[in-house]
Amino acid sequence: MSFFGFEDNDPLQREKQKFLAGKKTEEDLAVYTWGEESYDGLGDALLEGGDELNDETFGSSGAVGRDFDFTQGQQFTEQAPSDPSHSLQHSVSSLETSGSTAAAAPARQPHSLWDEKSPFSVLPRSSNSVRALADHHRSSSSARLSTYSNGSISSAGQARTQSPGMLPTQTITQGVSQTGRTLQEIEAEMRAAAQQTRSAAATAATQRQQLLQEQQAQQAQQQQVQQQQHFYQQQRTAPPRMHPQSQSPRFHQQQQAQQLLQQQQLLREQVLEQQLREQQLREQQVREQQLMREERAARELLREQQLQEQLRRERALQDLQLQEQRRLEEVERQLRAARISELQQQQLLQSQYLHQHQRQASNGSPLSQHMGGRRQQSPALLDAHLQAAYAQNGQVVPQNIQLQQRLLSELAQVEFISNIHASPEEQEALRAEAMRRIMETERMEEKRRRKAAKIAHMARYNDLMTQSDKDFITRIQVSQLVTQDPYADDFYAQVYGAILRSRLGLQASDERVLKFGSGGGVGLGLGQKSAGRRPNAMQKMEQQVERIVNNARLREHDKAPHSLQGALGKTSGRSYKAAPRQLLQVDTNGATSPTTSHPHISKEDAIRMDREGAAKEAAKMGAEALGVSDPEETVRRDPLTSKETLAILEKLYDLVLNIEQLRREQPPSDSEDFEAVGIWNARLNESIHQLWDGLRVMVPLETSNPHPFISLITPTKGKKLLPRVSRHLSSQQMLTMLTLLVACFSQMDIVIDAPLLDAPHESPAQAELERQTQAFLGSVVQSILPVVAKAGLRLVSGLLGLLMERSDIVAITQTRPGLAVLTLFLSRVELIKQSMSSATDLSELPSQEETEQWELMFDHLFQLLHPNLLFLFPSTRIGASLSALPPDAPPVAALHTDALDQPVWQFLAALALHSSNEQQQALVTALRGKVLENVASANKGWVASEDERLAKLGNVNLFLHALGLDSSQISV
Amino acid sequence: MDASPGIQEPFDLIRLSLSERVFVKLRGDRELTGILHAYDGHMNLILSDVEETIMIVDAQDGASSAQGVVNVAKRKLEMLFVRGDGVILVSPPSRT
Repeated sequence: MSFFGFEDNDPLQREKQKFLAGKKTEEDLAVYTWGEESYDGLGDALLEGGDELNDETFGSSGAVGRDFDFTQGQQFTEQAPSDPSHSLQHSVSSLETSGSTAAAAPARQPHSLWDEKSPFSVLPRSSNSVRALADHHRSSSSARLSTYSNGSISSAGQARTQSPGMLPTQTITQGVSQTGRTLQEIEAEMRAAAQQTRSAAATAATQRQQLLQEQQAQQAQQQQVQQQQHFYQQQRTAPPRMHPQSQSPRFHQQQQAQQLLQQQQLLREQVLEQQLREQQLREQQVREQQLMREERAARELLREQQLQEQLRRERALQDLQLQEQRRLEEVERQLRAARISELQQQQLLQSQYLHQHQRQASNGSPLSQHMGGRRQQSPALLDAHLQAAYAQNGQVVPQNIQLQQRLLSELAQVEFISNIHASPEEQEALRAEAMRRIMETERMEEKRRRKAAKIAHMARYNDLMTQSDKDFITRIQVSQLVTQDPYADDFYAQVYGAILRSRLGLQASDERVLKFGSGGGVGLGLGQKSAGRRPNAMQKMEQQVERIVNNARLREHDKAPHSLQGALGKTSGRSYKAAPRQLLQVDTNGATSPTTSHPHISKEDAIRMDREGAAKEAAKMGAEALGVSDPEETVRRDPLTSKETLAILEKLYDLVLNIEQLRREQPPSDSEDFEAVGIWNARLNESIHQLWDGLRVMVPLETSNPHPFISLITPTKGKKLLPRVSRHLSSQQMLTMLTLLVACFSQMDIVIDAPLLDAPHESPAQAELERQTQAFLGSVVQSILPVVAKAGLRLVSGLLGLLMERSDIVAITQTRPGLAVLTLFLSRVELIKQSMSSATDLSELPSQEETEQWELMFDHLFQLLHPNLLFLFPSTRIGASLSALPPDAPPVAALHTDALDQPVWQFLAALALHSSNEQQQALVTALRGKVLENVASANKGWVASEDERLAKLGNVNLFLHALGLDSSQISV
Repeated sequence: MDASPGIQEPFDLIRLSLSERVFVKLRGDRELTGILHAYDGHMNLILSDVEETIMIVDAQDGASSAQGVVNVAKRKLEMLFVRGDGVILVSPPSRT
């Protein structure tokens, strides 16, 4: 590097030069104190990046000598005296330092080592440089290259250094030089090499090692003759070996070293014969073919994927591979057991290779083993190939035998591919399949590794906290959640959760609240129903909270007799409640609580006054009922103003909320505390009584127009109050309310203003009325529905009579609320009639008198409605008002009149069910035009959409089915 | 019966209008009508089904500001949060 002038930019280099120039300080090895306390931090200043500069300088220039790279040599001179036991550590660190100084490396090993990021790639450089120091300084670059290329000379020494990274280069050069040689020459050379290395190993390795190697080499020689024959044969028959997965730059090296691979094959066979002593390869093949047939059934998956023939071969291959693999693993185990002591040191160096291999081998399934075994993409593995090839020449390096085993398994696979798969296209298919699986396996492996790394990363903090620590923190967190009124503080979540639960059809406890004995509690929020990890977390949290709460309760119980709690003052555990002071301080107790809404009147007084008022009213009612009606007594009043209505409604809402809260606080039915139950009952009855009075249902009808009750249900919130009230009222009270509603039906806004809905043009008033109507149908009708559903014939007749008596029935039937209520009555009577025909209990049957009264009422209703039947339809009314418009009026947007007509058809159907034959005739005659119009427009396609057509037909059918007809019977 | 039971303070009047249509006058010549759903002590309001009316006075060149032409822009909003500092008055809509 210094040669190229980079040193000026590199302070580290300068530093080193200065250091090397003679200022040898007291510590020789100062540079290598990585990680120790005296470490001077130079490593941090290293020039780690900028490798591309090196490439720029050296990349394609071919071999560049290191003749002028004096730093390199000197550096290694320094390294030489270092403690040999630390050589690994030092050489690893020298990789890092060599970021700027290892310029010679790429020149020397252009393909392999520069790509190789493993620490082992540096090893040979350091050790070799030390040994070949003289060469460094003396010889030219070409001379040095020739030194390296002469594998047989340097191999013995290098093998002793156990430097796998260095080996490929050597074998490459060797392989290149060998390409022209014959097998006999190779054989001769192998023998020579074996001889040479044996002598070398005798001095370098231990006694045991030597013995083993000798045995190996001798056996190899013995086997060679008989294997040679086989080798020739294979060479003849086998097509050029394919290494489809070899995509690394060293693929070409491998091709160059093909001859070496053939030698490896020889060695593989040697090893097989030596270690296994089982059988000849041909015998194996025959036996494995049989095995393959036996296991064919187990290979269903593969059979689906490929052609039968191809599959059979592949299966054969897999079986063979599997067996090979197992055998070789067995061999490995034997070898390892035998040499475990020698290998210990070497395995350090080998660990990278081993790791890779072992992981592949331990992948479990034979398929993945097969895959892993065939993974030839990794450069390190290719190195292993070459290494093994070298080792064959050297035959000294014991740890290489392990590599050989693995390598051989791969080679065996390749061998069998070439043996079994004669045709190239089959090989191609197999290769593609293999590629796919390799990719897949690699992806999975990558995924698994990432996951494992993540888990390992997180596991660093495992068991950092004890259980009591966790409990303590949970306690702190939970203490923030404890409130006096858990339901109210969690109100929206509770209500929402209740709605959700009812919507999902789940019956669950009314509230998800943990209550403590002393009145506090924790709201649990919504019940989590979603899948995944969260619900578990929530459940865990709940359990934890419950445990803590129970513990706290126990402790409280223990402490109770002492009652020293709070003796030293209280601390607020709820800092978040300290909201910013409000600009306007609203005294929530004063206005919102209904019981204290009269601050100047004590509660008892208020109740007494209410009672007195109610009593007075009751007395009046009684007097009226007795016929001693005194017109002066009945105080005629102005109707409630809207402000009064709203104020009363607020009060009623407060009452309802109060009652609902009371019901939640209901003491358990098996409670022993009769006093508490009594108090609770009294409070509840008191509240309900107030509510009933507040609704003003009992106020005489003549008091005002509209009746106060009708005034109360005029606003939307008044209508929406009814369903909540009806839950707390008795059925008798509800019946009274229904009667009042029917009696005052025509006083309601929605009935009075109903014609507005038929106006062809939208207006805010119409929108408001629409909203009110919907609210009425949704709330009021819903709350009276259960009452009507239980009503007897007599009651329904009475209600119908009342409606016709007090209201203009024609006008009412032209409103949606009116139609809804009438339909309700008619269908109830229909149900009663049905039960009459089937019921056996005579006591439930309506009397003859009641039936006659009903028929009277119905005939009356029919007579009233008959002339106006067509005007029941909103579509007719809208059409009429449209035609009344001046012709230049803007066109009206298409109204979905069919939806509006639908309740009318429904009502007419109910009407038709009750009608006598003559009435049905009249009904059909009156509605004939309407029915025909709908059917015709539906059948002749005068409709905008299919939906509209279906709506029209559905409407007509509603009515016709009641008469026993169908729209399809009508031909237009 | 007391004409205004439970009304202790101005806010109680607003409370009466909950879930009713209200008319809100805002600073910057804006008016709203909508259904009141919630309010707080800052007079922050939540309204639904809102119609906002904005008066834009276009001052004409050379004329005094009193002679500007008033343009009225209206828009409808489904749900609106009104920040309280802009509220001048809240009232029930005038019954016509």
